[in-house]
Amino acid sequence: MKQNKIVYSTGHLNRRTQAAGYVSLAFVALIFFASCSTARPPTAILRNAELEVRAADEAKADELAPADLKNARDKLARAKQAMAAERYDDARRLAESAQVDAELAGAKADARVMRQAADRILKKGDAPPSDAESESRKPLSPSPKME
Amino acid sequence: MRSHLSSRALWRAVIFLVASLSIGCGTVRNPSLERARDAYQKARQDPLIVRNAGAALDRAQLTLETAEQLWAKERDVNEVEHLAYIAEKRVEIARVTAERRQAAEELKQGGGRP
Repeated sequence: MKQNKIVYSTGHLNRRTQAAGYVSLAFVALIFFASCSTARPPTAILRNAELEVRAADEAKADELAPADLKNARDKLARAKQAMAAERYDDARRLAESAQVDAELAGAKADARVMRQAADRILKKGDAPPSDAESESRKPLSPSPKME
Repeated sequence: MRSHLSSRALWRAVIFLVASLSIGCGTVRNPSLERARDAYQKARQDPLIVRNAGAALDRAQLTLETAEQLWAKERDVNEVEHLAYIAEKRVEIARVTAERRQAAEELKQGGGRP
């Protein structure tokens, strides 16, 4: 009778340890698959972001769109840190954000250069004729003051 | 009496749960996604942007649609907020691109003058 009880209790223990084993196995598998889904380092995305920051730099964004370029640089640095820490999802998001910030910085710089050039030309083209218009109605000469 | 009360409480709990679940599934809003959508719709109504930076605006739309689908399907807050940020920046890029092309057009016309 006593022996029976002991046998029963060890069986019970076995079943419990077995269950615990399954649970821990499932847990390990879960961690494994979870890490698999984020285990790809976003190397290409990071390099693209780096190139975009360089392009913005070359477009003189540090003068013409400094806030956006700073955003891009900060995020790129944080992306590299996340990459080093193997936080690949964070690294990818930061690099993608850095890239779009750099793209915006470059676009702003280009737009400002073009706007300044247009304003300069339009002023050049408009101002003398407006002086000349008081004298002659058709300002064909580029420098009416010479006349 | 007691069992009657507890079953009523149970029903209330069930109704509350179902109601909150259906609200949760239907109309949970994401502020950054809505901000991106507003920015996009404003840009879409601007003829200058549509004419001069249609492709850039379409890129913004593509990102916005991806974000909206992800929000509807998976409710992945981090990824959706990230995509909403990208979409908003793409709208801004479209706006700036349109401004640049407008300036280029003025330059071309102004430069043609004597």
